[in-house]
Amino acid sequence: MSVEFIGNDEKIKSELLTVNMGPQHPATHGVLRVEIKTDSEIVAEAIPHIGYLHRCMEKHCENADYRAIVPFVDRMDYLASMNMELGYAITIEKLASIAVPRRAEVIRVLVSELQRIASHLVAFGTYGIDIGAFTPFLYAFDQREKIISFFESISGGRLLYNYISIGGVSRDVSNDLIVGLEKFCAGFEDQLKMYDTLLTQNKIFIERTANVGVMDKDYCYDYGITGPVLRGAGVEWDLRKKKPYSIYNEFNFEVAVGKGLKGCVGDCWDRYYVRMVEMEQSVKIIKQALVKLREEGGEFTTKVPRVIKVPVGEIYMRTECPKGELGYHIISDGKKGPYRFKVKSPCFTNVSALGEIAPGMMIADLVATIGSLDIVLGEVDR
Amino acid sequence: MTTQTDGQLTVKKYFTNIWDAVSSISKGMAITMGYVLKEKEVTLQYPEEKETLPKGTRMRLYNDVDDCIGCKACATACPVGCITIATEKRAVDAPEKKSSKGTAIKFDLTQYTIDKALCCFCGNCTTVCPTECLFHTTEFEYSTYNVQDLKIDYLSDEARSWKEKALKDRL
Amino acid sequence: MHNEIVGLLNNRIKGVEATFNKAEVGDSSISVNPAFIVDVCKLLKESGTHEFNVLQVITGCDYPEYLELSYIIASFINNTELILKVKLQKQGDSLPKIASVSDVWKAANWLERECYDMVGVEFTGHPDCRRILCPDGFVGYPLRKDFKSEESYNGMVINPASKMK
Repeated sequence: MSVEFIGNDEKIKSELLTVNMGPQHPATHGVLRVEIKTDSEIVAEAIPHIGYLHRCMEKHCENADYRAIVPFVDRMDYLASMNMELGYAITIEKLASIAVPRRAEVIRVLVSELQRIASHLVAFGTYGIDIGAFTPFLYAFDQREKIISFFESISGGRLLYNYISIGGVSRDVSNDLIVGLEKFCAGFEDQLKMYDTLLTQNKIFIERTANVGVMDKDYCYDYGITGPVLRGAGVEWDLRKKKPYSIYNEFNFEVAVGKGLKGCVGDCWDRYYVRMVEMEQSVKIIKQALVKLREEGGEFTTKVPRVIKVPVGEIYMRTECPKGELGYHIISDGKKGPYRFKVKSPCFTNVSALGEIAPGMMIADLVATIGSLDIVLGEVDR
Repeated sequence: MTTQTDGQLTVKKYFTNIWDAVSSISKGMAITMGYVLKEKEVTLQYPEEKETLPKGTRMRLYNDVDDCIGCKACATACPVGCITIATEKRAVDAPEKKSSKGTAIKFDLTQYTIDKALCCFCGNCTTVCPTECLFHTTEFEYSTYNVQDLKIDYLSDEARSWKEKALKDRL
Repeated sequence: MHNEIVGLLNNRIKGVEATFNKAEVGDSSISVNPAFIVDVCKLLKESGTHEFNVLQVITGCDYPEYLELSYIIASFINNTELILKVKLQKQGDSLPKIASVSDVWKAANWLERECYDMVGVEFTGHPDCRRILCPDGFVGYPLRKDFKSEESYNGMVINPASKMK
């Protein structure tokens, strides 16, 4: 690119500068390397490189048996472990035709929705930090601490739970924990209104995120993008309503869709707003689940043999996780472990869409776009 | 496709923008000042103040080796293979030994070691133990200077000395 | 739905040999001839009735005689899903080849790179076929059943005996 020098006949030759938004960076939410070729502040090309957290999980799982895969699956998206385990459990239960008792189904929906709130709270807090607002991060983590303490009481771990097992859940939920959760739900709705005033309606935040990183409907379909990013583009697609799994068809809730309230449909503000509305809807589901849990007695797991017998065949099932649609493709040959174990991760497809949308943005807009995609590198690299 | 302009900037829009900015920022500051003046601190001054962990939290494992029947279910269930067990069949005329659940013990343990550096704290081994002699305690302050010291030998006297405290944490 | 699709493919594309693999347990799939994969995908995406507009997964699985690729596509308009399978014969040391579908769905770009990296299938016509998860100088295809890791990488010994149990 060349520039005419005013008052002189010289032409200055300039070239694109390659900057590494390197694997260690506070704004890439993990070890993601984005190679940016910039022309002063405007990005000319952005190429994401992944693979820094690759742990060959798919090969490890071929040597393990079905029950031992659950701790491996936890470690993919470590901020939403319950949803990862739920997806795996319902896949194996469908292939091996294992029935799950009703109390276990209600507990599973309860912990999945609590985990969705916890994951969206991290997305909300860290997105504030990317934009420059440091305060909402700790407010979000204060609320998240209550959810994590509940998970510690029922499963024993704070981040990696190993709680949802094939055939049910591993420990029961006692009544005093249910009382604690009801108090949490009552307080959380006021907190959501406070986040709305603090960050969502803040003029500086709107200026940084509205009309930035616009991904419209056809772009999302072409790249296979799902989850809040697709719903932010105006498509009402939620697997909990379109292909209900577990007992989601008995719950009453709405699907959050981006409508372009502050800019155009499909910009970063819309994707962020979809996550805030989803937290409200999750609280609604949790209240209904707590009512059902008080009424439902019975077993919390079916008895499965120590070595689970899975017939020969293959299956593909997807579930709605906080980051998108998670799919498990399992090919079994009747032995104690899978023959081929493949995970379709939502963040992998979301990151692949970054390359085409980046040219023309400024570097600060690129940071805002990466934050709005809400990626966790453990799931991208597996 | 990326950044789109909002249209013409009129004088009315200019002043509306300024008003929006000032009002939204001052509402946010009011919330933050409320936190400064009203809320209590949530920081715990560790190590003087410690949280008690709930029962069943998955920290260091403990095995009550006198109760163990040597079935090796824990070593098979472990996803990472951190449990090493060696057993010897008891002689036919040896005195009869029973575990706390009533099963007859047919094997003598010669080695029971868990490598806590490899362990992923999943709890699969405790779920399959038939006599529940292997369980998680809430002990988490056991760092050592040498990674080889994290291979805990449960037949040693040091491990047996933890028994009384550990039994309080059994679910 | 599977029988309709098999009929449509066999009528419109000569030589595609589409067959329906009905499964008693789990999911059924449709097998096609690998030489016609791009035509099959274009037809399934653009035919008015089926409209499979989203590509979800491309996986490879290693069997003793052949490699089997599965393409899992979905229609977000009609809310349906389909598994397409192709068999590629292994030929000694060289990689089996198949045409790339990255012109039909852009999602195929990274999915095919991952398949190349893990299973060792070469996609002809792919704009940028290089390793994505393994490091650049890596030798071997990890998800093959006969994969053995090398002795050392860049001068560092892999799995030294002193650190293994």
